[in-house]
Amino acid sequence: MMDRIREIFGSIWPKFNRQDNKHLDPYFTFTDYRKIWTIGICLLVVTALVPLLVVTIIHYQLLQVSVDSELKLRAERLASNARRAVTFFLEGRLDALRFAVNEIAYDQLTDPDHLAEILRNLKLGFGGLTDLSVIAHSGAQIAYAGPFNLEGRDYSNQHWFIECQKHDFYVSEIFRGYRDVPHIIIAVKSFRRDGTFFILRATLDTERLIQTLSSYETGAHAEVFLINRSGIVQTSSKHHGDIFERMSLPVPAYSLRTQVTMAEDDHKEPLIVGYAYIATQIADTPFILMVIKQKAGMMQVWQQLRSNINWFVGLCTLAILVIVTITCSYTVNKLYGADKAKAEAMALMEQSNQLATIGQLAAGVAHEINNPLALINETAGYVKDMFVLMEQYRQDDELIGYIDDILEAVERCGTITRQLLGFARKFEVKIQQVKLNEAISDVLVFHNKEAGYRNIKVYVDVPEDMPPIETDRGKLQQILVNLVNNAFQAIDNGCILDIQASPAGADKVRITISDNGCGMPEENLPKIFEPFFTTKAGNKGTGLGLAITYGLVKKLHGDISVKSKVHEGTTFTVTLPTRIPEETIENEGSTGR
Amino acid sequence: MKQYHLLIVDDEQRYADMLAKRLSLRGCHCEVCYNGQQALDLVARKNFFLILLDLHLPDIYGTEVLTRINVISAMTPVIILTGHGTEADRRACMQQGAYAFMHKPLGIDELLAILARIREMSP
Repeated sequence: MMDRIREIFGSIWPKFNRQDNKHLDPYFTFTDYRKIWTIGICLLVVTALVPLLVVTIIHYQLLQVSVDSELKLRAERLASNARRAVTFFLEGRLDALRFAVNEIAYDQLTDPDHLAEILRNLKLGFGGLTDLSVIAHSGAQIAYAGPFNLEGRDYSNQHWFIECQKHDFYVSEIFRGYRDVPHIIIAVKSFRRDGTFFILRATLDTERLIQTLSSYETGAHAEVFLINRSGIVQTSSKHHGDIFERMSLPVPAYSLRTQVTMAEDDHKEPLIVGYAYIATQIADTPFILMVIKQKAGMMQVWQQLRSNINWFVGLCTLAILVIVTITCSYTVNKLYGADKAKAEAMALMEQSNQLATIGQLAAGVAHEINNPLALINETAGYVKDMFVLMEQYRQDDELIGYIDDILEAVERCGTITRQLLGFARKFEVKIQQVKLNEAISDVLVFHNKEAGYRNIKVYVDVPEDMPPIETDRGKLQQILVNLVNNAFQAIDNGCILDIQASPAGADKVRITISDNGCGMPEENLPKIFEPFFTTKAGNKGTGLGLAITYGLVKKLHGDISVKSKVHEGTTFTVTLPTRIPEETIENEGSTGR
Repeated sequence: MKQYHLLIVDDEQRYADMLAKRLSLRGCHCEVCYNGQQALDLVARKNFFLILLDLHLPDIYGTEVLTRINVISAMTPVIILTGHGTEADRRACMQQGAYAFMHKPLGIDELLAILARIREMSP
């Protein structure tokens, strides 16, 4: 289970482990697979993600711009409509007063009954009026019609009276006045025949105005209310100040037209502010119409959409990352595998090339040495002959000993050169049926005696029903002799040698020869099949045994490998085909001299 | 002991001489020559018990000499004694009917053993 998980993880996050096979490094085409993998992933991710992100950002910006302009447009339209309604409300009532002063004679106007009649008619026709009063040029109230008895009051010092005197018409702010009820005063100035003026004043109920305004409030996020030019709230608002309080926002700049600006409230929430300075055709008013919309509230739908898009983009990005990583890992892993296989093949080729070259060189050297060696041999032999024949030297064991040393040395040189030639020579391969158990026991006959006195136990395990293989008996036996010899030299008395044979797949057999001897350090293993490589002390080995064995195994189209651990033992594994195809047998038989 | 008449053919003069001396000490009558043509002349004139033939002779290659010896004196056993023998040489010589194909350096005792075997086989 863990292995499976590790395998899956490895396919996403490959290791490209080069530590295990440092010797293959020179044969790799690419050196840094981690870098290739990283660059590949980065390139693919950038290629895939950049367009997606850019399109998303552009989309956001476009959406933002269009939503903003749409919101502004709506606020402007709302402010414009509400402005028209407020203007119309005030204008209608001013016009009614103007009509009254122009149409009705002063005497009639000052008649309280008539004035009450006029008030009733105005209430019927327009509504929203609370009372009517006529004020003489002196500021004294002459006539009054309405619920409050304010007759005889002097208004000469009142702001509205002075203003109306100046401008002929007057529209007041909303204020509480003597009655402590919010109301608006509108007033119209007119002249009597004698040249003095009088003012017809009406008090407007703010209820009607507030109703008109609130009918324009659409949804929970929009507010429509009035302020005066100093920023005092005139009709109460939920979020921006109660009536007669200062508005939480600054007073917008004067403009003839309806305007829309962006602002922020106390909590830094963005607001859309539409406003209009209200002026009737005949008189200016102190009112500014405010339309304030909370942007966040208005944009909830759009924000939902944006959140959906964000999720979608996020999931897409994740999917792209995973797919890119898997694709990249798979591709680079395949590349690495192919490169590694190539490197292994090249390393193997290099090795066999090296062996062949060394073999040819060795053969040449052997040939050249043999003649002088033969001369030394015969000369020394002759000297010895002389000594043996001559009475005076025959007794001189020391001299004879020296000569024997020379002869022995020559013999040893001869052995080496013969082995070298054997190493280089391409023997004829003679194919015949060979039973592995017979071949092995034939070989062991040579070692029985030594095994006996060294107390070495030799175990042979070959399945009885193992079919014979078609190969060269002589070479197979030579391989086995060499390996068994090698093992005998490596192990101490009383150790164990284990020889096993078993089928390895449909068309191969495997022979393993393991000992529990001294073993070899790992760094020696790659060199073990090279000629003249020996770990045996002194003159015990020529270093050719395993090299020759390697050549023989290759000749039989087989493979040989070695595993070893110091103090634990060594195992040689020879894999041979059960049949060597005729056409592949090389029988050229010359080293090319 | 009957004297065996041996011919040693080798371009390495000192080696041939030395081997002849040693074999002489062991009761053989040895003749020495240093090239192929001399050898063929000698074989044509005399009857040898055994010929020791080197392959790398200055005038004629050993296998060729062997072929011609077989023509002149088919019954004479020839031992090829070479320091340079290749597998191809060995095969060629054995096909030509050489008695043995030996590599230098060769122990004198080994040579005497072969001699003894030939002696046993010969009538």
